[in-house]
Amino acid sequence: MNKQFFSTILFGLSVLAAEESRSAVDLFNNSVGEIGVQAAPVAVETAPAVAQPAQASAVVNDKAQVVAEAPTAKKSKHWSYQPIKAPEQPNVNNKGWVRSPLDAFVLAPLEAKGITPSPDADRAAFVRRATLDAWGVIPTPDEVTNFVNDAGADAYEKLADRLLASPKYGERQARRWLDLARYADSSGFTNDETRESLWRYRDYVINAFNQDKPYSQFVSEQLAGDEIAPGNPDALIATGFLRSYPDDSNSRDLVQKKFQNTTDITDTVGEVFLAQTVGCARCHNHKFDNISMKEYYQLQSFFANVHAVDNIPAAKGKVEHAYEADWKKWEDATKDIRDKQQALLEPIKEAGRKYNYQRFSLATQEALNKPINQLTPEERWVRHRYDNNAKDSDVAAFYADNSQPGAKDYKPEYAELSKQYKALDKELKKFDKLLPTQGSTTISAVTELGHADVPPTHIRFAGVFDRPTDEVQPGFIAAINDEQPAIEPLAFSSGRRAALAKWIASPKNPLTARVYVNRVWDQYFGRGIVETVSDFGKAGKKPSNPELLDYLADSFIKQGWSIKKLHREILLSSVYRQSSDYREEVAKADPENKLLAVFPRQRLDAEQIRDSLLVASGKLEGNVGGPSVFPPVPANLGAGDKWKASKDPHDQNRRSLYIFTRRSVPYPLLQTFDMASAQQVHSKRDVTTTPLQALALFNSDTVFEWSQALAGRVITEAGNDETAQLNKLYQILFARTPSDAEKGALQEFLNTQEKTILQKAATGKFAVSIPTGLKDTQALNPVRAAAFVDLVHTVANSNEFSYRF
Amino acid sequence: MSNKSRRDFLVKSGLGLGGLAASGFLPGFGGFSSAMASDLVVDPLAAKQPHFPAKVKSVIWLHMDGAPSTLDLYDYKPELIKLAGQEIPQSFMEGIKGGVRGGTGKLYATNRTWKQHGESGAWFSDLLPNLAQHADKLAFIKSSVTIGATHNISILKLNTGDLNPGRPSLGAWIQYALGTANPDLPAYVVLYNDKKEPTGGSINWSSGFLPAVYQGAAFRPGDSPILFLDRPELVAAQQQSGALNLLNRLNGLESAKYPQDTELKARNQSYELAARMQTTAPEAVDLKKESDATKELYGLNDEASKSYGETLLRARRLVERGVRFIQVVSGPQEVAGDSRNWDGHTNLEENHSKHARAVDKPIAGLLADLKSRGLLDSTLVESGNGRDHNPWGYTQWLAGGGVNAGTTYGATDEVGLQVADKSTAVDTYDLHATVLNLLGLDHLKTTFLHNGRSERPTVVYGKVIKELIA
Repeated sequence: MNKQFFSTILFGLSVLAAEESRSAVDLFNNSVGEIGVQAAPVAVETAPAVAQPAQASAVVNDKAQVVAEAPTAKKSKHWSYQPIKAPEQPNVNNKGWVRSPLDAFVLAPLEAKGITPSPDADRAAFVRRATLDAWGVIPTPDEVTNFVNDAGADAYEKLADRLLASPKYGERQARRWLDLARYADSSGFTNDETRESLWRYRDYVINAFNQDKPYSQFVSEQLAGDEIAPGNPDALIATGFLRSYPDDSNSRDLVQKKFQNTTDITDTVGEVFLAQTVGCARCHNHKFDNISMKEYYQLQSFFANVHAVDNIPAAKGKVEHAYEADWKKWEDATKDIRDKQQALLEPIKEAGRKYNYQRFSLATQEALNKPINQLTPEERWVRHRYDNNAKDSDVAAFYADNSQPGAKDYKPEYAELSKQYKALDKELKKFDKLLPTQGSTTISAVTELGHADVPPTHIRFAGVFDRPTDEVQPGFIAAINDEQPAIEPLAFSSGRRAALAKWIASPKNPLTARVYVNRVWDQYFGRGIVETVSDFGKAGKKPSNPELLDYLADSFIKQGWSIKKLHREILLSSVYRQSSDYREEVAKADPENKLLAVFPRQRLDAEQIRDSLLVASGKLEGNVGGPSVFPPVPANLGAGDKWKASKDPHDQNRRSLYIFTRRSVPYPLLQTFDMASAQQVHSKRDVTTTPLQALALFNSDTVFEWSQALAGRVITEAGNDETAQLNKLYQILFARTPSDAEKGALQEFLNTQEKTILQKAATGKFAVSIPTGLKDTQALNPVRAAAFVDLVHTVANSNEFSYRF
Repeated sequence: MSNKSRRDFLVKSGLGLGGLAASGFLPGFGGFSSAMASDLVVDPLAAKQPHFPAKVKSVIWLHMDGAPSTLDLYDYKPELIKLAGQEIPQSFMEGIKGGVRGGTGKLYATNRTWKQHGESGAWFSDLLPNLAQHADKLAFIKSSVTIGATHNISILKLNTGDLNPGRPSLGAWIQYALGTANPDLPAYVVLYNDKKEPTGGSINWSSGFLPAVYQGAAFRPGDSPILFLDRPELVAAQQQSGALNLLNRLNGLESAKYPQDTELKARNQSYELAARMQTTAPEAVDLKKESDATKELYGLNDEASKSYGETLLRARRLVERGVRFIQVVSGPQEVAGDSRNWDGHTNLEENHSKHARAVDKPIAGLLADLKSRGLLDSTLVESGNGRDHNPWGYTQWLAGGGVNAGTTYGATDEVGLQVADKSTAVDTYDLHATVLNLLGLDHLKTTFLHNGRSERPTVVYGKVIKELIA
């Protein structure tokens, strides 16, 4: 492990801790990465930010020319750039329908068109809907019954509060956020190496939702946690958002690689927080929006000094101790081999490293060949990046490549030394099975390595890396905010991202709150008030109900950026409570249901389908957080060592957001149902319907095993009466009992399927799949039971299960 | 109601496409009632008309994993052989950033014999004796360029047009633009002959920001090519068909409540298609019915070429079944005790001899077989691919329908390092634009609205190389 640069970061952090009297959290001794543990809260401004006058930035020093070059764009008239104003609640006739102010904003346009909203959904349908939306799984029959039978006036409030208080809420909301963060547990590209610590960021996100961390703070920590809350490991972990870019450890032009990474970070931040497609301005001035190329590169310059740091020690808990113990076993077992390898490499350490440099572009080599104390900030980046990825095998290549006469540094003994090294490698590989398969003892973050001086950022002609033109300084998009960023350099960091975070998380920013409330609305109703959830620019859609959007954004800020309060208000609204039943007159008047006179049904997303099947089968492992897991994959997937199923069987039935996100090997069962792609910001799940999905749900051995378990559960809970069994099955899956027509079809199926299975017996080889998990299978008629498994499996495959109505 | 996401989708995807298919155009759906057929017009995979008449229906994209040194296959350079062992003259290095060892070592030539073949007089080295017999079927591009000193980014750029992951692969664009010609099989298939998935995995056939329905389906080696194709172990065929009947009944009862919900109907129907795929997919890759002569043609009788030959024979069977885009990734060979792809840093002689032997006869066989079955006119075969370590000039070729066969476009300098005349350089974008053109698609009009940008397969680049088209 490379510790060389870690001291630099720590240095930076400790300097600050000493300088400021604030009680810094001990980086080594504070518990991090464990769910439910909240580090000291970070003070983040929620009051309106006071505009910094330009001359105040004299202290700031970020080069005076910024002011001279500040773009003087005319104030834009574009709707999303205008300040959020609290709209007046419209007058409506049907006042009884207005349970929350937001209902009035929905009802007014309906009344204008003469459409009445739908009646409330029945309670059972409602609790299934709300549980799927808030938790991402179906409710248990008990949860359904309790709500249906709750005669209290506050039954809905109690339900909403129960849903929002469960850690399952944070798990569900985290998954949607991770889509935006292009979160993955691996680097991507051909090597696609494991990122063993990024799950701590995933857990940070779950925690943030469960603790109802104010959105403004959530945003700030992810952009600049290391700058605004130094010493707080939680805030450091939050920068995993920036760290999550896809990366190529095999890259040979590190100067270009830096540009690629910065590009990814800048474009991601623009899309996620501001719904601005800033990336369009990388190659040319934005074609639709008031964003110049220069402004784009000004945004890039906020991130010019960020480095990936993956070796920050995490506080030690169960996971860390287990990891260390495994690691030690491997170290002890391989010490002899590794010592021998080191001895072989000793004489060529320097030459081998220098030789390896030659594999890089000339600009990269220049940086690598300089003494550390003479590095420019940009070269510092290159150096750190190189050291982060340096491997002994790079050095050993010196022997191999110089083992034949004619090679530049040929020596006759190199062939033998190379052979010896490779033999030791083979020997070492035999111990791979001792290596820890999950977890880590470190934090992955981005920091500025303790340096406040920043590499220059240049405009790139036509977005081409090789063609730098003018240098730029940090600046906002003038059409949105023409103030200068108030950058306060820190002893250990440039302070640039803190300034950016301050602007983005400001109540005065016209986009941040609007963008987020719109994302939440989109989750609940399947369509945002602005349909293009990550494009609030001119090429995006206009808000279908601008007053509603501004009401939500304004009240979001006024309620202290509380995400839970936002969810609660929607969950308790009349618009959310409506039935999804088909209404012909609405279909005619508003064919796309933009006005929401009927509740829009939605296909469950990939994780909702898998997790709900796990809940139904009673097999879900409910523990929250921790290292990512590898459930088994089909034998013919061919993922090689990129996917080794977890040894612990409990790990196979965790919620889907704990499944290892390997960029090159998406988990097949989820992928087929349009899971998020981790390559870029994933703003909205597609809904496609394909035969490959049908194959996955109908044929997967895993899903079939869950159906066997569900059949066993039904029999255990309902007893031997078949009608009771059918009722129980429908209660579990659909929160209702089957209709007479359905019961008829199901009974008929059991009878014919029983005969079909009996015919198999005639072929001589006779084996059937019976329900699992039963205490006593003695009384079971195996043929009838096998038919019942088929029934359960079919009902779980039916349309109703994969939708929420 | 609101349940028109597929229709919305169509509006989105209709951007720039040449209009929608009439229901009558949908092949393979004769068995469905007309109501069903009209629903399928909103199917994201419904066959769509190209922008102008297509020259080919299918593309076989031969990806040589690891990137062969085309200087040892097609690009005959007597000057290089003369200068071998010397430092490269500086005049050849102009404009190269350097580093990465490429272009910085001493010049190296392998011990090849070279001959001209066919009426076109195209040069082939002795590594490709069988393919050389088809010289006049090929149109060479000897001025290919790309970006990248490492495989990772070059492969990504070759398949998706970008150095960072996230954009759709060419096959995904094609499936999106043209839909499927045979709904019983995926329209975009990836074949490989390794024990595990090719390096980099599914990113190289991903749908990027297009809906996942357009990603390539990796066909696994063996009898059961698609994941989850086989029934659970103890479920007999009769049992499954009984279950399907029940499913259909339950879905019917449910759909009756939502008469306008096309998505629910489509989901019900997807199970019928899936059931058909369980038969059609294994049959499509089943080589048992192929004649001995055909097997011999593809090199199945030689251990060295058997594995790759089987893959190409599968490719031909998929072409016959209307699959639009077939991406074939070549598998590794044992070189100096290691499993290696074409990336022959050391042991070039052994590496390329073995790889060439694995692919030469199968590719020649594929061209001959397509020709004799009358399929070559409607199929495009592309081979060569991004050349690592030398992105400044390498060779690729096209064969098949609409291709200006028997010609060579562009040239490298006298040592084969850089494209000689930069105005003839063919970047991956240009290749993509040309392939799309042969499929009847204008790369400038094949667009998808993503985050405010009207995206196209060639990003903001690309030109059709007219000289390659007959």
